[in-house]
Amino acid sequence: MSQFASIPIVPPPALPVPPVPVPPPLPASVEFTGDRNGFLHLVARGAGLELVTLGFYRFWLVTDIRRHLWSNTVIDGDAAEYTGRARELLIGFLIALAILVPIYLAYFLVSVEAEHWQALASIPLIAAFFVFGEFAIYRARRYRLTRTVWRGVRFWMDGSGWLYALHASVWMLLTAVTLGLAWPWRAAALERYKMQHSWYGDLQGRFEGSGWEFFKRIWWLYLVTPLALLLFPALPFLYAHYKTVEWRWWVSGIRFGDVTLESKLQSDALQGLYWKTIGWYMLLGTVFATLVGAVAALVGGLGGAAAGAAAGPDALMQNIPLLVVTVIGYMALALALSVVTRLYLTRDLWAKILATTVVTNIAAAANVTGKGELASAVGEGIADGLDVAGF
Amino acid sequence: MNATGSESVIYFDGTSSRRHAATLAFADALEIAVDGEIRARWPFADIRRADSAPGTLRVSCQTAPALARLEIRDAALAAELTSRTADLDEHHLGRRGVAKIVGWSLAAAVSIVVVVLYGVPLAADRLAPLVPESFERRFGDVAEKQVKFVFGEKVCDSSPAGQAAFDKLVTTLRNAAGLDDSVQSAVLSSEIPNALALPGGKIIMFDSLIAKAHNPDEIAGVIAHELGHLRHRDNMRGLIYNGGTSFLIGLLFGDITGSSAVIFASRTLVTSSHSREAETAADTFSIDVMKKLGRPPKAMGELMLRVTGKEGGKGLTIISTHPLSEDRLARMSREDQTPKGPPLLTDAEWRALKGICGKGKV
Repeated sequence: MSQFASIPIVPPPALPVPPVPVPPPLPASVEFTGDRNGFLHLVARGAGLELVTLGFYRFWLVTDIRRHLWSNTVIDGDAAEYTGRARELLIGFLIALAILVPIYLAYFLVSVEAEHWQALASIPLIAAFFVFGEFAIYRARRYRLTRTVWRGVRFWMDGSGWLYALHASVWMLLTAVTLGLAWPWRAAALERYKMQHSWYGDLQGRFEGSGWEFFKRIWWLYLVTPLALLLFPALPFLYAHYKTVEWRWWVSGIRFGDVTLESKLQSDALQGLYWKTIGWYMLLGTVFATLVGAVAALVGGLGGAAAGAAAGPDALMQNIPLLVVTVIGYMALALALSVVTRLYLTRDLWAKILATTVVTNIAAAANVTGKGELASAVGEGIADGLDVAGF
Repeated sequence: MNATGSESVIYFDGTSSRRHAATLAFADALEIAVDGEIRARWPFADIRRADSAPGTLRVSCQTAPALARLEIRDAALAAELTSRTADLDEHHLGRRGVAKIVGWSLAAAVSIVVVVLYGVPLAADRLAPLVPESFERRFGDVAEKQVKFVFGEKVCDSSPAGQAAFDKLVTTLRNAAGLDDSVQSAVLSSEIPNALALPGGKIIMFDSLIAKAHNPDEIAGVIAHELGHLRHRDNMRGLIYNGGTSFLIGLLFGDITGSSAVIFASRTLVTSSHSREAETAADTFSIDVMKKLGRPPKAMGELMLRVTGKEGGKGLTIISTHPLSEDRLARMSREDQTPKGPPLLTDAEWRALKGICGKGKV
């Protein structure tokens, strides 16, 4: 599930009516006021609770993370607010289960029939899950957007999840056929669809980024990436660069009415975040490996003396204490990694993007009429069930 | 702090994004006035805290429009309001709320574990016989296609004498096992020494297993074992069991980071124990059939051990799907008997069976 949902993009009003004709509109201030230690405490505690609740706590954790990020995102002096609640996500998840279980069963029966017709004929059916996943991504975005409030007016979305899924799938096919070359145009087309159907009150959004713009900045990656696959340290550099370009292109394309966003993100701005994440992953991985190794040596030393020559690596595999240490260590490792990821790649990334975003013409959102209905969390539930993320 | 920082109270009426500088009066309710005119009157008992950035107290009112907000940026004023609204944080999740989540999660986990350990095997046993024969057969056809895809297409049917010997062996065992003549069987040419029972009643034997056998009793024991799987409907039971277990364990672990590994591990543990039980039951079946025919049950165990080698000390026994070959042999040896019945195949038939795929002539 994605923690970053649609950034509460947007904007508003605050200049109390310019008295004199002012030519260049001043950019509105955009700041992130979140306390980093507070966030760390939030996600660390959340990870612990996820462990003892075997994952059920995720609905509350994700909600708390969003509330923290939203309410510390201050645009033109006023903080946004996330009004979604964990209970909604839980109910959405349960409804999604009710929907997904029969679908899985139907999928099973259909694939038996397909295999009956020809071995491996059921593989294309997986495509159906891709389409469904795209639908879920759209509906999940709608849920998050309708829980995003700024200055007492909520964002909302219309448009159709199925139409979006159709778009996304056809574009994916095109991307596959062109060996990835169509990817930037796919991103632009999907973003246009999403933004056209996004609203802040009665102010309609749109997306002005173009596929060509995006392509111009990343074309060389198509050539370099295959080489980088052979050379480990090169890959994260390229990925971080790609993400930077993508963020900048995406933020700079967002419009709500006359409100304009622009990103000043530097090309190397995200390198540090990705490398810090990788560093922590390696460090934690090493600690885990050392721990298991030490326990194995200890157990091997004691057991080996008793069992004589018969005790080899095989005997270690049968050792219950070692298994327990490994399993618990593994869970701790997974949770520690999730804390690291959320700190750097959710919170710090969020703060960086906000710090480099410039909003102009915010006055256009100064007197927007509230509109739009709340959407249900079923989309999030399905996305959770299918393990897809997007925003 | 912002363009309009001089205002200490800001009111949003929840119908437009317009910012109103407001003044507050604390009467029997909170009175919010804009430009000297009272715009809203919020009962203190209905006022709730909303999320906001540090330094700002943001509140909503349960009886006002859902998105109406009052923002107070003056600490003294905020303290004043806080002191009058006892239920300000009433809807926040406290320690008790978290304890409730933890408690119910554990209860859910316990019930899922109980269902996996006791409910699903019971369901599999009860439901498997209810699966219509026709569906199971269809399912078997699918499985056969996949087996042929993986192990090669070649069915050995070029040697009539070998085929006749194989059919004779299967028929003898089938009759002794009390199964009807819907049981089908075939020998496939493959490098892998193995035999399978497919759903819907089909036994497939790979010729390299026949090549490794020293006498007809060894093959007979294996066929009887596979007949045991058919008799117990282990394919359907396994399908229901594995499907149910995977689903429930997936539900249990939700999406904790790295959960796929945990799901995979626990599912392997649970389902392989179920599979070992099924294998042991099929061995029992094989022993009984061989005894009924007056042939030695031990023969199959010897063949298994020859094929797998000694397995003890290799890998993790609690995740293997079959009991150890040496344990199986030991069990069959305890049940062993000197042959009382007639040989199942004549020497000539045995030689024909060995050459059923046109190679490995003895």
